[in-house]
Amino acid sequence: MNLPQSRRHFLRSAGTLLALPALESLGFRRFLRAADGPRPKRMIFLGFGYGVTNETWFPDPGQTGADYTLPAGLEPLARHKADFTVVQGLVNKHSAESHWGSTFWLTGANRYGEGGSSLHNSISADQVAAAQLGQDTRFASLQLNGSDPDLAGPGHGPGLSLAWDNRGKPLAGVNNPVALFHRLFSADTAPLEQRQLALQEKRSVLDAVLQEANDLQRFLSARDNDKLDEYFQSIRDIETRLGKDEKWLGVAKPNAPLAEPRAGLAGEAEVRVMYDLLLAALQTDSTRVVTYRQPISALLSGLGIKVAAHDMSHYSPGERMIASQRRDAAQSGLLAELMDKLKAAKEPDGSSLFDHTAIAYGSNLRTVHYLDNCPTLLAGGGAGVKLGQHLVLAKNTPLCNVWLTLLRGIGVQAERHGDSTGVVKELTA
Amino acid sequence: MHPTIPTHLCLLRRHFPAPAAGLLLTFFLGGFLGENAAAQAGAVKSAMDVSQEAFFESYCLKCHNEEKQKGKFRVDDLPFSIDSLQTAERWQKILNALNSGDMPPEEEKQPPKNAKLEFLDQLSGAMVVARKALADQGGVALLRRLNRREYKNTLRELLGVSLDVSELPADGGSGNFDTNASSLFMSSDQFEQYHSLAKDALSEAFTRFLSPPKRFHKRLETEERLEAVTRSLQKRIDARRQYVRWTKAVENAAQLPENQGLVAELRRNKGAGELSRSWEKIPGAPSPVQFGFKDVTDAEHQGLQWWDLVPFHAFYVVQPENKTGAFLTFGDNSVNHSINLGVAGWPPGQYVVRIRVAATSEATPERRFLEFGKRVHGPYSLISTHHITGTMAEPQVLEIPLTLGSNMDERGFYLCEKGAVDDDAQGNRKYSAAKRRNGIGPEFALWVDWMELESVPVAERVLPPALACLQIPLGDDAVPAGEIRGALERFTRCVFRGAPASGAHLDRLLGIYEARVKAGDKHGAALRESLAVALASPRFLFLAEPSSDKTRRALAPFELATRLSYFLWGAPPDASLVERAGRGELTRPEVLASETERLLNDPRSADFVNAFSHQWLGLDRLNFFQFNGELYPGFDLSTKKAARQEIYETFGSLLRGNGRLTSLLKSDSVVVNALLANYYGIEGVQGDEFRRVELPPGSPRGGLLGTAAVMAMGSNGEHTSPVERGAWVLRKLLHEPPPPAPPNVPQLNRLEKKLLTTQERIRAHQEDPQCANCHRKIDPIGFGLENFDAAGLWRTEDRYTKPGLGEKRWTIDPAASLHNGPAFKDYFELRDIVAGRSEGFARGFTEALLEYGLGRPCGFSDDSLVQDILARARREDFALRSFIQALVASKPFQTK
Repeated sequence: MNLPQSRRHFLRSAGTLLALPALESLGFRRFLRAADGPRPKRMIFLGFGYGVTNETWFPDPGQTGADYTLPAGLEPLARHKADFTVVQGLVNKHSAESHWGSTFWLTGANRYGEGGSSLHNSISADQVAAAQLGQDTRFASLQLNGSDPDLAGPGHGPGLSLAWDNRGKPLAGVNNPVALFHRLFSADTAPLEQRQLALQEKRSVLDAVLQEANDLQRFLSARDNDKLDEYFQSIRDIETRLGKDEKWLGVAKPNAPLAEPRAGLAGEAEVRVMYDLLLAALQTDSTRVVTYRQPISALLSGLGIKVAAHDMSHYSPGERMIASQRRDAAQSGLLAELMDKLKAAKEPDGSSLFDHTAIAYGSNLRTVHYLDNCPTLLAGGGAGVKLGQHLVLAKNTPLCNVWLTLLRGIGVQAERHGDSTGVVKELTA
Repeated sequence: MHPTIPTHLCLLRRHFPAPAAGLLLTFFLGGFLGENAAAQAGAVKSAMDVSQEAFFESYCLKCHNEEKQKGKFRVDDLPFSIDSLQTAERWQKILNALNSGDMPPEEEKQPPKNAKLEFLDQLSGAMVVARKALADQGGVALLRRLNRREYKNTLRELLGVSLDVSELPADGGSGNFDTNASSLFMSSDQFEQYHSLAKDALSEAFTRFLSPPKRFHKRLETEERLEAVTRSLQKRIDARRQYVRWTKAVENAAQLPENQGLVAELRRNKGAGELSRSWEKIPGAPSPVQFGFKDVTDAEHQGLQWWDLVPFHAFYVVQPENKTGAFLTFGDNSVNHSINLGVAGWPPGQYVVRIRVAATSEATPERRFLEFGKRVHGPYSLISTHHITGTMAEPQVLEIPLTLGSNMDERGFYLCEKGAVDDDAQGNRKYSAAKRRNGIGPEFALWVDWMELESVPVAERVLPPALACLQIPLGDDAVPAGEIRGALERFTRCVFRGAPASGAHLDRLLGIYEARVKAGDKHGAALRESLAVALASPRFLFLAEPSSDKTRRALAPFELATRLSYFLWGAPPDASLVERAGRGELTRPEVLASETERLLNDPRSADFVNAFSHQWLGLDRLNFFQFNGELYPGFDLSTKKAARQEIYETFGSLLRGNGRLTSLLKSDSVVVNALLANYYGIEGVQGDEFRRVELPPGSPRGGLLGTAAVMAMGSNGEHTSPVERGAWVLRKLLHEPPPPAPPNVPQLNRLEKKLLTTQERIRAHQEDPQCANCHRKIDPIGFGLENFDAAGLWRTEDRYTKPGLGEKRWTIDPAASLHNGPAFKDYFELRDIVAGRSEGFARGFTEALLEYGLGRPCGFSDDSLVQDILARARREDFALRSFIQALVASKPFQTK
């Protein structure tokens, strides 16, 4: 691998175009005029890892279309029934890991797709969207995580969030609502020159470590350089972010539309505050793409459920099944609240945020150790998919077909995603 | 159905299973240093046995052939040798279809149960081998980032600081060791965390080693607490008086003739509830607010619930011992259920905690333990538990070394009796039980005279290596510019583990220093900014070993020293190892061996002992569950912690004494401290030190199977899980790991309405071939361990309660027989069978050690290395150090 020495060349080679300094950049101006034009599209991916209660979450496959009975697990969403679609029959066909509900959820990758490695992944749908939707916002995308202590936590599988970058490497996420709040809204009160100086200092730090990485890579084998490339990529990502920071230097962070969350929230309160924060991030146009790998163990203990997450996933009628059902209901209730708030959030043109947001809610695991019929609920008007439906697709339709449909729906001209074979026509008809 | 299939059964498996009968394995291993190691790895092939061809032809080929290709899937051209990713995918598809019951379709001819079972057994085994072969790294260790543990240790060794690194993401999520290079990722967030942690570390080191020494001391005389305890008693008594006055007034209003009818009605409706609760409905009744309460709930809380606690409270304040010290209690947090000491603002550094403490004559053996922990606000965080042997006549002074870190929030500490602050419910249960017994409350077991915290005086300030190497003043005064570059050069060489930084990099670092000085920073502060950048550079964060793709080379002496010390210490080499490397002595096998011995004898090898044994044996599972305090009152947090420590100490004791690895399967002794000995019912062990104790004949303890930790991991905190235990034994002890839990196996709920014994429930697993395939191997072992309850104590009876169905009790029958193996009548015979299979155990251990030490999965291309290590270990009677020495002496360990 040959890496150019100077940072600017380096950035160009990384496929990132930055005008430095460029307060009057395209994105910045677009932001200022944002209120006039068509409203931007947003995407939210909510992944809950350990699936759902099979018997009480899925609508009866015999009742399709708009006229179907909501099962108990979705009952808390009743008031939004016309505004979401439940899709059955989806699968990530390469998935064979019975406890990995999140690793491949948005990627559809084959873990063994690459010889000489035992964990291969590819870009997640949110990052495909962020490459386009993220150009004009302070944050290209946000990755949120639940507070489960074990990062690879039960039910989610390896990864640092739901998001994987274009080389199939995991993207880090924030699991602390307070930290997220500050990242989004804490005003930098230092004078402009000082902040410019600070940016400059950060750049010289990056230059120094980049120099060192360049020194090192010359001595390494191709395989080792593949690994070191993660370091280069992380520097590249910070460079991109600094470039953004610079563009945004003159723009004050938005006023927080909510108060700083209390520290140490757990259970439903934790999910609710994360929903509020992601809503606030979209409302203030701080970002347009959000993923949230939701808590499992922390949600259960917050609900006062003593059953451990993995035991719950292996429910059979009795205590564990009740736990699983309570989890479903709590999650549906929280989603219903989020939808209320998205509908109530008005855009400058009088439409609601909900109208411009594509929401996907689901998991790569159905229930117990099942990886087929991945639970999938789509909502919001962002991708223009047909809502208010219960859709039963042909068995084992690629889940990536849904991701492709959503991506096309928000205006990303992707040809395919993961193992997709085409868009889901039933969603667009 | 897998109602209780375990988590770790299903985790990515690491090990090569003992080849199943009929499974074809072909080894074509060339010399280790071949031209193309990756291509060699492909030489190990997995294949389905040709004997399965008949099954294949009968049940698959009819629909999936060249002409028909049902579901666009044909198998007529599918090779039985699984040697490419494509072939593996197609076989995986077949395995999935069979497991899920989708194939053969219902309307087609179904295979006999046994044939299907054998086919599944073969195929799942072959897939495991194929996956492993296809993922083989060909013996090449990748560039490896320091994991979180090594990063912390490295900063400790270089800068003498103990940093809180918990904000960094945990490593090793996908079932690998935390040294596995390919799972050690790097992200932009992480880069920023490293940079900011480096600044913290430098700032702490500068404070600790450069600011003038200052003595910190604070002592709490615990009798100071008595005044507050007495005041709170008075408050309770006053509240009671007010409550009685209020209820009397309500009663008086109720007595009014015009209220008679209403009140009679109220009394009928409310049953036994207090009349005062309905005061609002009674004309003329006064509000509780007039008597100083917030509302009715508050009035009843203060007037009734508090009153219930008053006898114990009153008893406490009159004890003469509380005038010179304080008894610790539980169940009532107004009466010294913990003693707290805060030292806000104290700087990071080394301290010592001293506690003068005694156990009373009423302290039963299990109540002679004191907990010390950290608490600021929120949860209590246990640090250590101590056996109290001092008496009221002769209290002891306990000394606990303590490091205060850079997190300035963490400056609050507590003492309490063991288990007193685990959870409220447990404290209340014990309190009530004591009150029922003696009418007052818990007997006083521990008495604390005082507690103090003091800084450890630094007699001679020895600068840590990364500061010492700078050789320039580190204070505020300006230093000539010419000297800075040299200091940076020495610093980078030190933290880059001997590799020099390039001139260009040094220029950049110098530029950062100069920019900071120009911006107004003092010399020391500017220097720290510059040094922090070096600590976020790849050559610090990665264990880099220059290499080429074409040839393999022997490690340079410094590289070998680094590998060795990160293997055995999780930390950089010390001066002595560096010196020997510098003199080129490590290439001499006897020197390398003696340095290995020296590193193992050093206390820093505790990092290896803990990290390796924890991950090898999968002890993280012990954290998954909260144990039911009502069912297992003895298994409190202190005991759980000691149970985990027992595993580390047992392994550490073997390592220190170079004992036999196989004694982990069966042993006449255990390594315990007083706490655990008390839990196990072993008498005569005093104090907190873990030591080897001979077991009485017939004890179920001795060996990993007899430890509370291993048995507790095989439970969910409530019930035992024979499946979990059986799978653990197969995986960790017998080296016959079951394949990953297959996805999409149909679940059956037909047992839901029945009240069954554990064995009856689990035997249902074996009805379907998809389940029997693995469970016939797993379950019998679990049955043999049923005499250990969920918290690892011996039992002979078990019970199962199901709401609506009632309770079933039964006497445990541990007799079973291994799949294709001998029968056993009880745990002891099972343990003997397991202990008799030490070869498999040693092989599993060797592979784990190799993965941990080389930072990569153990592949088929490692087979000759594994054999070599085992051969030497066998010659030395499986002495623990022989495995380590053999690995260190091996070519792969010394080769990049």
